[in-house]
Amino acid sequence: MSHGSIIKVPFGPQHPALKEPENFLFEVDGEIVVDVKPRLGYNHRGIEKAFELRTYIQNIYLAERICGICSDAHTTCYTQAIEELLSVEPPPRARYIRVVIAELERIHSHALWVGIAAHEIGFDTLFMYVWRDRETVLDLFEMISGNRIHYAMNTIGGVRRDISAAMVPKIIKGLDFLEERLKYYLNVVQTEQTILKRTAGVGILKPKDAVNLCAVGPTLRASGVSNDVRADDPYAAYDEIPFNVITHSGCDILSRTLVRCEEMLESIKIIRYALDSMPEGIIRVQVPKKVPQGEVVSRIEAPRGELIHYAKSNGTTKPERYKVRSPTLANIPALCKMLLSGYVADIPIVLAGIDPCFACMDRMAFVDIKQNKKWVWTMQQLRRKYAKE
Amino acid sequence: MALIKEALKQLFQKPATLKYPYEKLTVPKDFRGRPIWDMKKCIGCGLCSNVCPSGAIEMIGKGLEAEINHYVDRCMFCGQCAEICPENAIRMSEEYELADFDRSKMLHEYKKDS
Amino acid sequence: MGLDYAAVKKEVRKRMTAETIVSLIRILVFPGAMFLFALAFFYEWVDRKFFARLQNRYGPLHTGPHGILQPLADFLKLLSKEDITPHASDRLVFALAPVFYLALPLTTLFVIPVLDPTSFIAFEGDLVFVLFAFTLIIITVFLAGWSSINRFSTIGSMRAVLQMLGYEIPMGLVAFGPAIAANSLSISRIVEWQSLHFWLILLQPLGFAIFTVCLLAELQFVPFDIPEAETEIVAGWRTEFSGRKLALLRLGKDLELVLASALIASLYLGGPQQFWLIPPIVIFLVKTTFAVMLLSLLRAVFARFRIDQMLSGMWKYLLPLATLQIILIQAGLGG
Repeated sequence: MSHGSIIKVPFGPQHPALKEPENFLFEVDGEIVVDVKPRLGYNHRGIEKAFELRTYIQNIYLAERICGICSDAHTTCYTQAIEELLSVEPPPRARYIRVVIAELERIHSHALWVGIAAHEIGFDTLFMYVWRDRETVLDLFEMISGNRIHYAMNTIGGVRRDISAAMVPKIIKGLDFLEERLKYYLNVVQTEQTILKRTAGVGILKPKDAVNLCAVGPTLRASGVSNDVRADDPYAAYDEIPFNVITHSGCDILSRTLVRCEEMLESIKIIRYALDSMPEGIIRVQVPKKVPQGEVVSRIEAPRGELIHYAKSNGTTKPERYKVRSPTLANIPALCKMLLSGYVADIPIVLAGIDPCFACMDRMAFVDIKQNKKWVWTMQQLRRKYAKE
Repeated sequence: MALIKEALKQLFQKPATLKYPYEKLTVPKDFRGRPIWDMKKCIGCGLCSNVCPSGAIEMIGKGLEAEINHYVDRCMFCGQCAEICPENAIRMSEEYELADFDRSKMLHEYKKDS
Repeated sequence: MGLDYAAVKKEVRKRMTAETIVSLIRILVFPGAMFLFALAFFYEWVDRKFFARLQNRYGPLHTGPHGILQPLADFLKLLSKEDITPHASDRLVFALAPVFYLALPLTTLFVIPVLDPTSFIAFEGDLVFVLFAFTLIIITVFLAGWSSINRFSTIGSMRAVLQMLGYEIPMGLVAFGPAIAANSLSISRIVEWQSLHFWLILLQPLGFAIFTVCLLAELQFVPFDIPEAETEIVAGWRTEFSGRKLALLRLGKDLELVLASALIASLYLGGPQQFWLIPPIVIFLVKTTFAVMLLSLLRAVFARFRIDQMLSGMWKYLLPLATLQIILIQAGLGG
């Protein structure tokens, strides 16, 4: 392979394969990818700084808008963190409602992913069908919370709205319809030859690499490693609801697809159980405006993997420091490993395979702990360090 | 060929697309549309203006003579104002078709005698 | 040395007999260029509408009744957009490639019978001419992408040529099936033979299936739209074209669709034949519409292949099957 035949193909920041801007510089020899250099930060909006300027109540809505698809995951993590700082427990009914909303969000997020993955491999028909059926979940959200995205259900101390008895039959009907359709799509994924040819054996991530590179979520579970925050470190009402952690040992994109499809079916079971055994009672408790001094780390299983929030309070009504580590950031090193020695044609589907949510991911500030300094790099410094070509 | 039966079945079903704006969906109860103030109940406490995460509510004056300016282009329809109002003067309506070419239409003024 | 205008005028008037005028009208209007353009827009509409209905949505709806004027509207809109030629590109080839891409299918359509069982231009061997034109089209695609210099276009044109290596031989082989049955290499004679005997689809169903699959690859429809895969390489070989050139490329693609469906209709479905009182052209339109809908259906139910999978599939499966079809015909089964 002569060196002269390597061409550099930039992916992004604007590219039809990426729904959000991010830059990957691929070095390609014919159709084989030889090297990949990610450049992150195109979606950086200064959210962590914005957290420090708003009160704790206002920050719920800021946290929600870190991402549109996993908005409830961020608010759950946030409210959990603040409740821990306040030493307040949400009432049991609120914890069950949080589970219902979180699992409905998992269904909608995975369904969105299946559609996008189908679009990446050129299968627009499956994309249209899955997104049409996803509308059922969005209509349920509109009925329960008043909005299709950004449900704003969580608040510090519980949830804001109740799931009334009149809503439950409609939710069950929606879930029954979804279960039937999702079983059909699972069957399609497993039997359609063109899908199998594009996804089986593509984007391999061995279990050892997955653990060493700190992959999270379905990316990790598709390599056979059974890590799920809902089971390992239960929050909300997950310690009272029986469910299975879905893993597959194929280590390729097909396994990731199967993990996500089966997780959707598992979520339907969890919601049914939660609606059945939901305790009566109040849905929220009153909390003081000022949060006592302290530090807390809160983590949950977002649809894309483990989401971590860190909060530091200083006794006032506004947080002193807030940090978000979203699952997509943890998957980027694993992604680079998966892309090497693959084909150019496989780049979009492998990228889509980790379910990237760059909106969640991009926040960086450099902290030098030893010198107690905090700074952000200027354009000149970045250019000097990275623009070697 | 796994999808072929499903695909052919779709030919005989009504398409899932809504011909908006000729066909519209009805929004459910408790939909979070544009918030509307009932100035007869407003006591001018300023809680809604303080809690709004995006700064979309402006209170002019204080007490029972206060007036409210609501900027729809800043509003994120979270409903926190409706939740925190002690007099239940704010109601989240069903209006969602709020886009306009004219920026001045984005300001809704609530005077005291309305 | 000036031109003797009076003598030229006399000469032109002598030659411009009624015959020439009629021929000019036939070439330019009906069943020539204008009619074929209208047919191209119509079939693009059929393809988009059918594809949309398979996906449970409407397709074009607003422009004209049921959106039938949408392809024309898209074409006119593209004509009015800015036409940018990249600085580093090979200007001459970049400008000529869309023109050739439009002209080749248009010229080839003249040998396919549309109005009646004999086409406008018919000669012994025009089937081979059609296959040759297909090759030229792909070479034009290659030059279009190569002259754009853009990385994505380069990858796209390489893929287009690789794809041609895959489908060309099976397509050529099975296209000779109807020729062997009708004992002639002229499409018009094949159509005539079918009107006297049976439709060739009944006698050579395997050949029909292989021919359709290879046409999908030639038209760059899913599962073989590898050279212009939108999600992988932006627009492949078409990336740098904009404005007028892109309008010509799109019209050329539609004409290729007309050519492909007209070929299917003529070689396997009997072509334009008188059916009771219905004129042959209506029959031709019905058969080609059916062929377009078949291609749309196949486009909707598959995902995209990778180029190496496509090549290995073509050589490992389609080529032996095509050979099998020819052997069957020689053995007497299939006309």
